[in-house]
Amino acid sequence: MPCRMKIAAGIALLAFVGASHAAMQAPQRSASTVPSPKAIIDQYCIGCHRQDSSAGLIPLDAYDISNPGAHPEVWEKVIKKLRARMMPPPNRPRPDDGVYNGVVSYLETALDRAALAKPNPGRVETFRRLTQTEYHNAIRDLLAVDLDVSSLIPSDDTSQGFDNITSATLSPTLLERYLSAAQKISRLAVGNAPRTPGGETFILPADLTQEDHVDDLPFGTRGGSAIRYTFPVNGEYEIQIRLTRDRNEHVEGLTEAHQMEVSIDDERLQMFTVAPPGRPQGTNAVRDDDIDIGLHLRANIKAGPHMVGVTFLKKSSALLETERQPYQAHFNMDRHPRIQPAVYSVSITGPFLFGGSGETPSRSRIFSCRPVKPADEDVCARRIVETLARRAYRRPVTGQDLEVPLALYKGENAKNGFDAGIEVALRALLVSPEFLFRVEQDPANLEANPVYRISDLELASRLSFFLWSSIPDDELLDLAIRGRLRDPAILDRQVRRMLADTRSQALTTNFADQWLSLRKLPGIIPDVRLFPDFDENLRQAFRTETELFFDSILHENRSALDLLRADYTYLNERLAKHYGIPNVYGSQFRRVEFRDGLKSYSNRRGLLGQGSILTVTSYANRTSPVLRGKWILSNVLGMPPPQPPPNVPPLKENSGKALTMRERMTQHRANPACSGCHQLMDPIGFSLENFDAVGRWRATNEDGSVVDSSGGLPDGSAFTGIEGLRSAVLNRPEVFLTNLTEKLMTYALGRGIEYSDAPAIRRIVRDAGAEDDHLTALIGGIVRSSPFQMRRSK
Amino acid sequence: MIITKKALHRRTFLRGMGAAVALPLLDAMVPPLSAMAQTAARPASRLGFVYIPMGSNIRQWTPAATGRISELSPSLSSLAPFMDHVTVLTNLENKNAYSPGNHATANSAFLSAAKAKLTEGGDYYLGTTVDQIAAKQIGKDTALPSLELGTDLLTTIGDCDNGFACVYQNNLSWSSPTTPLPYEAHPRVVFERLFGDGGTAAQRRAELDKNRSILDWVTQDMARLQKKLGAPDRAKVNDYLDAVREVERRIQRASEQEGTGLPEDLQRPVGVPASWEEHVKLMFDLQVLALQADITRVITFQMARETSNRTYPQIGVPDAHHPLSHHTNNPEKLMRLAKVNAYHVLQFAYFIEKLKALPDGDGTLLDHSLFLLGSGMGNPDVHDHINLPIVVVGGAAKTRGALHLKYEQPVALANLHLTLLDKVGVRLDAFADSNGKIEEMLSL
Repeated sequence: MPCRMKIAAGIALLAFVGASHAAMQAPQRSASTVPSPKAIIDQYCIGCHRQDSSAGLIPLDAYDISNPGAHPEVWEKVIKKLRARMMPPPNRPRPDDGVYNGVVSYLETALDRAALAKPNPGRVETFRRLTQTEYHNAIRDLLAVDLDVSSLIPSDDTSQGFDNITSATLSPTLLERYLSAAQKISRLAVGNAPRTPGGETFILPADLTQEDHVDDLPFGTRGGSAIRYTFPVNGEYEIQIRLTRDRNEHVEGLTEAHQMEVSIDDERLQMFTVAPPGRPQGTNAVRDDDIDIGLHLRANIKAGPHMVGVTFLKKSSALLETERQPYQAHFNMDRHPRIQPAVYSVSITGPFLFGGSGETPSRSRIFSCRPVKPADEDVCARRIVETLARRAYRRPVTGQDLEVPLALYKGENAKNGFDAGIEVALRALLVSPEFLFRVEQDPANLEANPVYRISDLELASRLSFFLWSSIPDDELLDLAIRGRLRDPAILDRQVRRMLADTRSQALTTNFADQWLSLRKLPGIIPDVRLFPDFDENLRQAFRTETELFFDSILHENRSALDLLRADYTYLNERLAKHYGIPNVYGSQFRRVEFRDGLKSYSNRRGLLGQGSILTVTSYANRTSPVLRGKWILSNVLGMPPPQPPPNVPPLKENSGKALTMRERMTQHRANPACSGCHQLMDPIGFSLENFDAVGRWRATNEDGSVVDSSGGLPDGSAFTGIEGLRSAVLNRPEVFLTNLTEKLMTYALGRGIEYSDAPAIRRIVRDAGAEDDHLTALIGGIVRSSPFQMRRSK
Repeated sequence: MIITKKALHRRTFLRGMGAAVALPLLDAMVPPLSAMAQTAARPASRLGFVYIPMGSNIRQWTPAATGRISELSPSLSSLAPFMDHVTVLTNLENKNAYSPGNHATANSAFLSAAKAKLTEGGDYYLGTTVDQIAAKQIGKDTALPSLELGTDLLTTIGDCDNGFACVYQNNLSWSSPTTPLPYEAHPRVVFERLFGDGGTAAQRRAELDKNRSILDWVTQDMARLQKKLGAPDRAKVNDYLDAVREVERRIQRASEQEGTGLPEDLQRPVGVPASWEEHVKLMFDLQVLALQADITRVITFQMARETSNRTYPQIGVPDAHHPLSHHTNNPEKLMRLAKVNAYHVLQFAYFIEKLKALPDGDGTLLDHSLFLLGSGMGNPDVHDHINLPIVVVGGAAKTRGALHLKYEQPVALANLHLTLLDKVGVRLDAFADSNGKIEEMLSL
């Protein structure tokens, strides 16, 4: 085990190093006596990092530091450790800051120069399948159909923290899914009559509290849901509602009559009265079964996307009168029963009477022309299919591309009409590998140069999938087809345009969600006994807070460092009550600044104080300094710890005396096999111990003792609490900025970052410095970088 | 600020909770006529479990005679037409079901015979259930390894029974100690998972043809793409071409099959029937279709939940089931409880009848299936888990009459599960707390 060996080697060398250190006093700060990088390494590193040591560390004496370019894979690692001040370890002799900076600067300059001489932009895989998110967005932008595709195609595996890293497999089962999805999507988009009435059932989460107003539904209502559903055609549809029931199958919260409203696009369709079942005298029979039976209606609804609202009229805003402070959560019969009835599911089925295809956004998008007479049909079909194919394949299409889809169209047109023909052609396009895969090809004549600039079309796709997680739009595609995209001024303008477009929300909902582990939130179920006041509303609020926050940094042209330090957040009433922040009322999210009366809450500012991150880095029943430390090392500092050794026993449960988290983890420090890595992770996590497993602030532990939030970073800094942690991280802003750039670049390229990308990343961070470290500057820098615009051939 | 609140707002609907649900089948994969995926010589085995809650009035359930019997009990009388395929087991016990929340654990231990970890949170822990063990083997050749169904349209989370998380009470089937498989109770959703849109045979054939044409073209397209690529990337395209060929093969198989016919017209049910009986029958119909089309060979069906308060006025029982089951030995209550049991068995008999009517290989679908109907609770008045009401129907009828195995000393329910696994070809030494197999059934 390296750590153990390191200790042993260290102890053995202690005398030697001590002697050397004593012999070399702090050198004079003059040009003639500034020690060379080799001398520094010899003095501070070679003690452990030697070839003849069995500690398994990088043997720095095997590499010539006067020529770093010969082994960038080694020296880039050294740079990383030195920049973060992780090496030499804090308990060993370390040089002063000036020396650190000098060595780093020397190494970076040399490696940047070597990279210029022999560029290596890395190699993105030739084939990359669209991820589930990208598929959804591509369908949305191609056909103007917003469909939940998670029930049609499976989600993707993640690697390096993102789900778009070289997923290139295509199993027969997956292909069947795409065939099935193409059938469904093409039918829905073209608006042909479905064969039989179909529908969807939307089930609300079981732990969704429904006692208060829900965003998107009218004021004066509470609970229920606003459901976005695309009605396939004009027709008569049935909407059926079922109420939530407890484990005994009784309708929950039904002690008096309530009014339930079903609306479509904010127009009321019908009101229902939901009343407690009658109790016939003399029996204990309660016909709960019948309560739901009448909760359905039929209505004529036009094709296209609509908002179906199912909600209850609010009865009273009066607070509950109880002796103890009531919970916010109400969903479990035993812990916090529902006070009022709630909606379990909404089924929308139909059409029962087909009323025509109607006018829908998707039909407008697809039918760029309409044949006036039968002779026009083929010409019009060609135009429609050509446009769709061009957008779907992200490139100009040839007659050969269109041959078979048009043949399919013709065959189907003869049997079932023009629209049916278009539908089957579209269905074929949606299964084409050129739609489902992003393809980057080495150019034909490569013998001269193994590194080449990718084509404009490939650049357009990279750009749109980076900023929008979707296909290029016509403007971007046309510029690429005309070969104008590579012009730096035009490219820059496009980046700005695309960031200003609403589709750039993908950077928040796809990039940030993954970077900040927000996708773990649905799986977080805190122990109901220890944290009873936790519901789906809170889970959603956590996510919304962080998403809105990230979005503001992105779209308000703020410094990326504001992600850690901006003095505001976004709250709604549920979340504010959770945090204990007063005077925030209502279900809508609004920006709340931590000043004036709320100054005392400003220790929460930035990502590190947000409930989402604090909760996904905890276990169901307790905080985990280790998880939090690891998360910050990996996602904030970009210095992930090594994997744990196998067969680590679980932390012993608290038995007898309740130990604090710090006490329970003494084993991490006591055991030398553990301390090597845990001394990096645990102190970070300890500094966040004031936040419990669901992100609430606590001043005391379970046993009443005051929380000890003293901690540190691997660079040797020591501090207390989140304020200290934040300052320490912000003290080395380039570490955070480099990490963020690496994460963005991983996501942008769809491959892991390698040492060969480091020079480009350094440049991006440097250039962004001139723009006040704006997040948008990092993004622009990535687009301009050579890993993004070039590719190494195989 | 560019954000439009609506766009960033979390979608307020979700399509079901918890574990990932099986994605709907390509409906073109459903053959126009029924599947004969197995040869006549070796028909595949089917295995299923149907759950009824809160035990039984065991006196009305247990047949009077033992061994080979020619008369069933009052509660089981609706199974008389299939007597030759019936095995009744008396005095089975499920030790690991005892707990402070034994409605939850009656359910969770029924197919797992495992002790549920007492927790309300996300750290639940049980065991792999017998149906999933079977599915891993006999389910690997079918489109769906198994099917989990229920009739109750509700989901609960948190504490459900004295400190036990709701997953224990909700889910019969667990594919691992930490992975409950939620059931589906919506007939339409079940249908769509099995058959997609359904439709007439002609419509289904048309869809198959369209998909075939499309895949044909995809093959050509990929071949064209392949020519433009360098050598290492060509290998990747070969992998894709293999996938396309495999799907074409499946489509080919689906369109070639002849047989005794799925319904000419596969009608998708749209809503949930108003009456429980219609709902249950519809769910059984779907199970028959699923077996007929060989979409799955392992089914679990929770006909009603533990602590169910359903009333059955249609058979003269206006009482809610749960309070009724606390009969306190009151003869009136016991009589009504027995009616409920008989009514549940009657629905099961409806299902068995359909299985018997379907030819399968050299016999009927019933000959090649084993279905267990029973409860995880014994005497509901005292919440015990001994002398459970258990009946197994299916298998080839070799001798006349039903078999009633009555044990003096209680036998572990897990022994029966182990035996059923053996009979469908999954030979294990032990399952949960089993201590042997039920020899009399092995020789059936």
